[in-house]
Amino acid sequence: MHELGIMIHIVDQIEEIAKTQHLQHIDTLVLEVGELSGIVPHYLENVYPMAVENSILQHSKLQIHVIPGKVLCRDCHHVFHLVTPQQACPKCQGNNHKLISGQEFNIKEIVAY
Amino acid sequence: MEQLKVIEIQKNVYAKNDEEAAKVRAEVKQKGVYLMNLMSSPGSGKTTTLVRTIQHLKEKLNIGIIEADIDSDVDAKTIATTGAKVIQLHTGGMCHLDANMTRQGLDILETDGLDLVVLENIGNLVCPASFDTGATLNVMILSVPEGDDKPLKYPKMFKVVDVLLINKLDAIGYFDFDLNAVIERAKALNPNIVIFPMSAKLNQGIDAWCDWLEHAVKSSR
Repeated sequence: MHELGIMIHIVDQIEEIAKTQHLQHIDTLVLEVGELSGIVPHYLENVYPMAVENSILQHSKLQIHVIPGKVLCRDCHHVFHLVTPQQACPKCQGNNHKLISGQEFNIKEIVAY
Repeated sequence: MEQLKVIEIQKNVYAKNDEEAAKVRAEVKQKGVYLMNLMSSPGSGKTTTLVRTIQHLKEKLNIGIIEADIDSDVDAKTIATTGAKVIQLHTGGMCHLDANMTRQGLDILETDGLDLVVLENIGNLVCPASFDTGATLNVMILSVPEGDDKPLKYPKMFKVVDVLLINKLDAIGYFDFDLNAVIERAKALNPNIVIFPMSAKLNQGIDAWCDWLEHAVKSSR
């Protein structure tokens, strides 16, 4: 589990943004997590209270938008939902795909004043 | 109470570290230091491999080592027996090194006059793959007892490294480890990966790796 270290890294970045934009209160932090990013949303939620302690995010809510892992089959152009890294195209059984989404791990926005 | 507003950030979580890493990479290049980041699981033989590498190259290159651990200094003590310059970094529970910690390590080590600095990262195949340290070269060790399915389980690590050292080949008779399958799986993820099978314990296969590394260090100048 590596979510705590990463969450602390995110809190540092938000503190910096809060300072430069003179924010006094942050209500919600919104993250985007791709299904193939290696980040487990449930663990992010678990470590959140510890990571935000004594920071500007201390009493804030965490919202996570999960982005599905989608690939395009280069052989038959079928777009499908990728569950594991090695998965054949359900339409033509080909293994030649291009990743469209699912590796994202972004700080999307904050709700603040 | 003031009005809440939505502030769009839309920034990759790793972007800030990537910027710092680019600075570290430029700084070491300017100083003529070749920075190598060594990653693996705990117990893969990182320290043993490093000791062998130092023994092979210490007459040819001035080497410094940054040992990173969550706690303890046992690895730093082992490395110090080789005569190489070594410092110990404690990450205080963090499971990876980032670019800022790497810069601190380089400052403490004092890199003047060094040709090669090796960063021994925390034993972990997950987070170190996501955090660029600013290294010139990324190397990972996979040891035989860990199993030949690791490229399937930790694809990101195999994608980001330049070199894969397959260690503990002396133990291959005791495990169901298919060397060709590992090589095939690693190359499917990363076609440019350079692979050296070895046994650090028996000092086998170290020559080929060290010759390659020496050439990489010297040709980067």
